[in-house]
Amino acid sequence: MSDHEQRTPVVLQGLSENDPHLQPASRNPAQVERVIALCFVLGTLCVAGFGACYWINAKPWTLGATLGGGLTFLGIGLVAWGKYLMPQGPFVEERHVLANPQEDRDALAASIVQRGGDVMKRRTMLGGLLGGGLGIFSIVALFPLLRSMGPLPKKTLDHTDWRKGSYAVDITGRRVHVGDLAVGSIVTVFPEGTQNTDRGQAVDQTVLIRISNENFTTQKGRETWGPKGYLAYSKLCTHLGCPVGLYEQELQVLVCPCHQSTFNVLNGAVPEFGPAPRPLPQLPLYVDASGFIRSQDGYDQPVGPGFWERS
Amino acid sequence: MTSLLKRFAILSTLGLLALGPLVLFAGNANASGHTPYQTTRKNAGTPNSTIVKRNSAGVVISYGNSAIMYNAPSSALDSLGEALFMQNCASCHGTKANGVPANGVSGAYPDLVGLGPATIDFWVDSGRMPAANPRAIEAPRRFPRLTPSQAVAIAAWVNSLDPSYPDIPTPNLKDANVADGAALFALNCAACHTIEGDGDALAESTNAPSLRHIPAFQVVEAIRTGPANMPRFTGNLSDKQVRDIVAYVTTEIQHPENPGGFGLGGLGPVAEGFVALLVGVGILALVGFWVGERE
Repeated sequence: MSDHEQRTPVVLQGLSENDPHLQPASRNPAQVERVIALCFVLGTLCVAGFGACYWINAKPWTLGATLGGGLTFLGIGLVAWGKYLMPQGPFVEERHVLANPQEDRDALAASIVQRGGDVMKRRTMLGGLLGGGLGIFSIVALFPLLRSMGPLPKKTLDHTDWRKGSYAVDITGRRVHVGDLAVGSIVTVFPEGTQNTDRGQAVDQTVLIRISNENFTTQKGRETWGPKGYLAYSKLCTHLGCPVGLYEQELQVLVCPCHQSTFNVLNGAVPEFGPAPRPLPQLPLYVDASGFIRSQDGYDQPVGPGFWERS
Repeated sequence: MTSLLKRFAILSTLGLLALGPLVLFAGNANASGHTPYQTTRKNAGTPNSTIVKRNSAGVVISYGNSAIMYNAPSSALDSLGEALFMQNCASCHGTKANGVPANGVSGAYPDLVGLGPATIDFWVDSGRMPAANPRAIEAPRRFPRLTPSQAVAIAAWVNSLDPSYPDIPTPNLKDANVADGAALFALNCAACHTIEGDGDALAESTNAPSLRHIPAFQVVEAIRTGPANMPRFTGNLSDKQVRDIVAYVTTEIQHPENPGGFGLGGLGPVAEGFVALLVGVGILALVGFWVGERE
């Protein structure tokens, strides 16, 4: 930027032919011109080659190479032409004033004020009626907004499809047998018949974990809920309802992938880290006479995130 | 030219500022406060297979089916395995492999007896054992200190103390159904390892490792034995299903199709858009500056 003074814009008219502003930016224009000419020749050959390749149905990479090369060489030549061979300038061109003469503008303003004073009157009744219409319209416009929220959920959020005696099945509908899971295993289960339904996959999904071979009690009052070390928790995070499917068998925690809420599997899925406000509801299980895992009853509380009427 | 350099410096500084938190996040996997890692519990299952081969003494030496064959390590390796165990493992796991080291304090290190050859083989052959830092919360995969045959020898000796299953698997990927494997991977593995198999952070400074460079038999070993925090998948996945998952991991995850040539780790559209904006638009802007620049 040391040559800043030289680059002050000059008026194009009246410059002599050998003014420095009119010279090309390049110090050796003849050589630059040869290079640009070479670029254009190569570019022309390439695009002609592209045409030939297209004509003979050559391999796609030859089409790409010739077209790309042609555009590249032509573009380099064009940019170099503009950058190194054009007069280096910079120039300014004066522009005449665009506004109308002052007397014309004054006359127009005067005529508008005069005519307006003659013609326009206040009409408060019409203004009031229009205001009323627009006000009611703005209220009515809210109706489709409210309806778009869908029907009221009523009691559907309070209960899942787990019932007394529901078989736990995996996503393929296979009933889980007490011998299926080794200690440290996990599988996502549904009450039989809902595994392929939207509602089943949304609200009934439950993680089934085997943590030991013995009956396991997570909390007081849940002595019979964990037969043969099988524990079942709702898979819906109590924070925002993400699937809590990340089971770490050594730490004995379930982790939610969305906000890292961490639930302790051994004490009834009490949250020990993260934003989840409540434990994951535990499903009471039993092993029936044939060895299948079934639920003693539904969940004793609503699953998933909190909502206004949650009891 | 100096102004170009200046612009480049500003752009790259902005890029580094934006990338910095990502780098910090990726590097933050080293805190402590929990017990040292343990291996899986016992109860590794019994062979329930179409093919069961026994030696002259009636001991099962291999079992499985057309999808996966499980082979017991040869008992001829026992003495070599014992020597290697005493050199490399006994200082923590004890000379009886029961987790009681020389100072007699039990509970600090895992009992290896009865875990099955596949468990021992996985930990040694993946380079996790012997551990670089026995007190660290996790033993990450690294270049193995012992050769594959030495790992099998150690597995043979530990197994000779209390023969158990699963044995060391050899998957047969010829007839595998990769599409089924992808669906099973999404159901059972993607929650922790991510759908691209890159792995992710988990609770309490642990993480699910990347699956990009794991031999097929180690994928089977991990699924069947559940190393460290990974759940174990036994009765709920058949050998055929495990074989399909392994086929998916060793093809689509380890050799993904990258039509653009550079997958950026498969981190998803946000990361890719970020790179496209910063690098692509940045380079275009620099070219634009250069075209308009008058000397």
